[in-house]
Amino acid sequence: MRRRLTEHLLSILVITLLAAGVFWYLRAQNEQKPTPAEKQLGPLLELPFAEYDDPFHTALLRDLLDLYRPGRSAENDSLLSLLLKTREQKLVKELTRSHLQQKLTWPKLGQLSLMYGQFIWVYVLVLFLTYYGVQTVAVMRFVRKKQERESYLYALWQLLSAKPFSGGAQKTLKAVRQAVSLLIKAALRGLLYFILFSPAYVIAYSLRTRIDTDTVFFMIVLGVFSNGLLINYANKFYTFLVSESRKGYVLTAMVKNLSTDYSHHKKRGIPYRAIFALRKHFGAHVFQHIFINSRYQYLATFKEQASFLITGLIIIEMALNIHGHLGYELLQQLLYQNYEIVLVIILFIFYLVKLTEMATDWFIERLARVYENKI
Amino acid sequence: MKTKFKQIFEKLYAQKDKLWLVIWLGGLLLVWGWNLLFLNRPALQRIETGFINSFMIALLVLVFSLALSWITVNSLLLPHRWLRTLFVFLLNILRSIPQIVGILFGYVGITLLLQQGKLQSTFTVLVLMAIVVSLFVFQELVDLMRERVRHFHKSDFYQAMLVRGIAESRIINYDILWMNSRVHIFNKLIAIFGVAIFLQCSVDFIISIGLSTTLSSIDLPVTLGTLLANIDSKQDILAIGNSLMHPSYISKIFFEHLQGVTVAFLIVFSLLSIYKIANGFTERFKL
Repeated sequence: MRRRLTEHLLSILVITLLAAGVFWYLRAQNEQKPTPAEKQLGPLLELPFAEYDDPFHTALLRDLLDLYRPGRSAENDSLLSLLLKTREQKLVKELTRSHLQQKLTWPKLGQLSLMYGQFIWVYVLVLFLTYYGVQTVAVMRFVRKKQERESYLYALWQLLSAKPFSGGAQKTLKAVRQAVSLLIKAALRGLLYFILFSPAYVIAYSLRTRIDTDTVFFMIVLGVFSNGLLINYANKFYTFLVSESRKGYVLTAMVKNLSTDYSHHKKRGIPYRAIFALRKHFGAHVFQHIFINSRYQYLATFKEQASFLITGLIIIEMALNIHGHLGYELLQQLLYQNYEIVLVIILFIFYLVKLTEMATDWFIERLARVYENKI
Repeated sequence: MKTKFKQIFEKLYAQKDKLWLVIWLGGLLLVWGWNLLFLNRPALQRIETGFINSFMIALLVLVFSLALSWITVNSLLLPHRWLRTLFVFLLNILRSIPQIVGILFGYVGITLLLQQGKLQSTFTVLVLMAIVVSLFVFQELVDLMRERVRHFHKSDFYQAMLVRGIAESRIINYDILWMNSRVHIFNKLIAIFGVAIFLQCSVDFIISIGLSTTLSSIDLPVTLGTLLANIDSKQDILAIGNSLMHPSYISKIFFEHLQGVTVAFLIVFSLLSIYKIANGFTERFKL
């Protein structure tokens, strides 16, 4: 654990130092560097008493130039026109960029910290919900597989292959009812799959005319159900369940008379209540051991899930233009080329990923010690 | 005839990866046929180009991810321990950068190069986009390869081969990765293909809607993501929400809002199909 912790802390240090270097470089670059024309006209541009909007002042400057640089009338004319042009350009540039350009100040850092706090809050909540969802969906799928339940479409195919409409009216009616029911179930499942695999912005834009999609609540819902996060990581958990169920200790447990009944409504089966419970426990069922061991193995994947979740949340905030959120702020600052602020936001996100990785490693280590009877 | 069809279906059902490959290709063909009938030619051409570009990038991502992973795994055979440690350390740092942030910056860099006129051919841009995406997804493949090497490293055959004087690099590259892991690698590549499409579409969408004023999306090749961010497509997607409250409007979606609905469908349906293909593959080879 100490080695891992050192590695995490070292990477945080390296990235922080790197970011600090880039930060100072950017700050130095951002210092107003005069253009060649500004360099040439420097003292004339800075004359405190000259107001070049006033024709009298312009004429006065023209006379002064002629007085101090006699015999160079054409040169003085072009110098004056360059002066007026450069001044105008500088003014336009300042006007167009002034409200967009931001530097990293303490109030701005405070504002970013608030956004970061909100991001962390949403992240933790969605992480918790998806972790629960991943386990529940995977267990549900595993139990269905053990029950040898076929897909609704395949059941429909089998029903139709058995020529159900050749009997009497009552038999035909029953078959039609069954077929319709299977078809509806298959359609609903298909729809659910489409929702789970949809990128967040597709769902959000589909519902924008009916629902206010710019709320934190909607962001949480999208974070859990969209971008394929839930279904993909549930699949990974399910893979662990399947590989655990093939191991030798499962046979030993069966010999020891642990239940292997996967039906929902029997006493020694797997009730829905246990599947949907927050803390899942399957009593004296062999699945209890399969589940616990899979959960332990999944922890290494949990870091990956957390990182993908951050990606998902940033996509949601950026794509939906949710004002006042970290992802949206990152996009805006990138757009206005305020790279100092961009750097700080990225650093914040990096810290969050690292913190999650450290917490997960600590938890894995703790669990490993429990399994090895060291605690 | 009927029995033969039944047999083919039963056989396909038992091999779900192949079944879903057929469903995916069939679905794409059906959508293309429908669009050929009801969508105007310029829009259809844009969708075709976007689709081809998106899938071309995703395929290139697979090539680059494979190459990067192979280089990484072989780099871990470096003789100096500190070099190996440094390599792993840098890899872990790269892993801690959320994919979307890394890819977004990569794409911004590509767009700046385009604006400076340093990139001329569309293919070069596609290759660069693929390299950027693969930099942030190849680690999954590295993990798998390292796990396979670690697994076989513990077995007797590894030591036996070393004793016989066979080079370690040959054992790893040929005996472990090629002979004993290529099915696993292929399965992971299918999953990476899906992730690449998702990330690429998302970044293109974000760039097109969020950064379009300075980094013109016109400069980047058309992909499904940029097409979805197009104002017409967004209107089409909004129409789906409208149809939820007015079910009679559903029929219009498939005729009057085809561009956006097709693009959204292509993305979601492809992601779903790739997931199912990967799952079927895992089941068939009991991975």
